[in-house]
Amino acid sequence: MSDRNSISIIIVRKTLMVTVPSDPDDATVSALQDEVLAAMQRVDAKGVVLDIGSVETLDSFFARTVAETASMVALMGGRTVVVGMRPSVAVTATQIGITLGGIETALSVERALDLLDRPVTGRSRR
Amino acid sequence: MGTQFEPRSGGLPGAAASQTSPETQELVRLLIENIKDYAIITLDPRGHVLSWNAAAERLKGWKADEIVGQHFSRFYPPEDLQNGKTEMELKVASQEGRFEDEGWRVRKDGSRFWANVIITALRDSEGRLRGFGKVTRDLTARRESEEKIRRQAQEILEMAAVPVVQVWSGILLVPLIGTLNSQRTQQLMDVLLNKVMETASPVALLDITGVPAIDTQTAQHLIETIAAVRLLGSEVVLTGVRPSIAQTLVHLGIDLSNVSTRSSLSAGLRTAFELLELCVAPRATAGG
Repeated sequence: MSDRNSISIIIVRKTLMVTVPSDPDDATVSALQDEVLAAMQRVDAKGVVLDIGSVETLDSFFARTVAETASMVALMGGRTVVVGMRPSVAVTATQIGITLGGIETALSVERALDLLDRPVTGRSRR
Repeated sequence: MGTQFEPRSGGLPGAAASQTSPETQELVRLLIENIKDYAIITLDPRGHVLSWNAAAERLKGWKADEIVGQHFSRFYPPEDLQNGKTEMELKVASQEGRFEDEGWRVRKDGSRFWANVIITALRDSEGRLRGFGKVTRDLTARRESEEKIRRQAQEILEMAAVPVVQVWSGILLVPLIGTLNSQRTQQLMDVLLNKVMETASPVALLDITGVPAIDTQTAQHLIETIAAVRLLGSEVVLTGVRPSIAQTLVHLGIDLSNVSTRSSLSAGLRTAFELLELCVAPRATAGG
C-alpha cells in the first residue's frame, strides 16, 4: 500500500525514531510493526520512540498493535516510548477504554530520549 | 506343491488362469515357485496353509511338507496371537478383499523378521471364499537401516542438543539449534544447571537464534529452565529473539516480562558484562 511508504524510521543514537502517519489503516499499522521489529534486529537498538503526534484517531486495533509491538520490542531487548499523543486523542482513548498497556509515554521526543538514557527503574519492563 | 493351487475358474483372481493355456498356467506356477523375494502361500478359508513356495521356505524356514495343513498363526509372535491378530487379518481380508500389515513374524527356529504382509481373499466366480493368498516380504534389512539412521540422527541431536560453552569468566553460553522438544529442554535444564554449579557462573546466555519456531510448550520449558537457573543464584539472558519469534511470543500471550531478552547475542553479551559490572573499552594506551 502507498501508506507503507509514509512510515519513517530514523535511527538516532541507537534509538529508532518512528513517525506514525496521520490516519493509519490496519495494513499500515501491521506494516509498522514489522518494520520496527526488523529495524530493531538490524541496528540492535536500545529503544523505540513512537511519535504519534499526527495521529488524529486512535482505534482499538491501532492501540492493541502498539501495545503488542512494545512487548515484542521488549523481548528484543528494547524499550518503547510513545510520544506526542494529542489531548483529544487521549480523551477519546480513555473514554472508550483504550489503554496502551504499560507503555511509557513522554510529552516530547526530547524527553523520550532522556527517558531512554535513564536506566530502567526496577526490573519491570512491561 | 503347485497342484494345491487348483487352477480352476477364478482360483487366482486377476490372473485369469482359467482362460489361459496350460503352458501359461505352468509359467505362472513356475513364477510362484521361482520368485526369490516374495514368500507366496495360499491358505484355506480358516487359515490353514495349502501351498508353500520356495521363497517361503527360504524366508520362514519350514519345508512345504512340514507346514502345509498347519494354521498360519505359526508365523506370528505370541503377543499377536493373544490379541487375536490372525483372525482379525482374515476377517478384514475377506470383508475388504485385502489386508496389508507390517510387523514382526516368527521363523521356524523362533527368530523374528520384520515383514510386509499382504493377504488377499480368493473368491471364485460365484463369490464364494475359496481361501487366501498371502504374500510376505522380508523388510528386516530395510527396517534395520531405518533404525540405524534414526538412532544416528538421535545421537547427533543429543550431541548437538545442549552445548554449554564458557565464553567469559562467569558467563556461560548455550547456543540452541533446531527444534526444542520436551526431552531436549529437560536435557538442557540438567546440563545447564550442572554447568552453572560447576563453573559458578553468575550469568548464562541462552541463545535461540538457531531455533526455528517457538510454541507455548517450548516457551514454558524455557521459562522453567530460566527459573531453575535463577534459583541457583544465576541470571539468564535470552538472546537471539528475532522479530518473528517476538511476534509469536506476544501473540501467544507468553509472559517473559521478568526475563531479560535481547535480540542479538552481542547485545546479550553486553548485558552480561553489565550484570558482572565489567567494561569493555578500547585500550587506553593504544596510541602509545
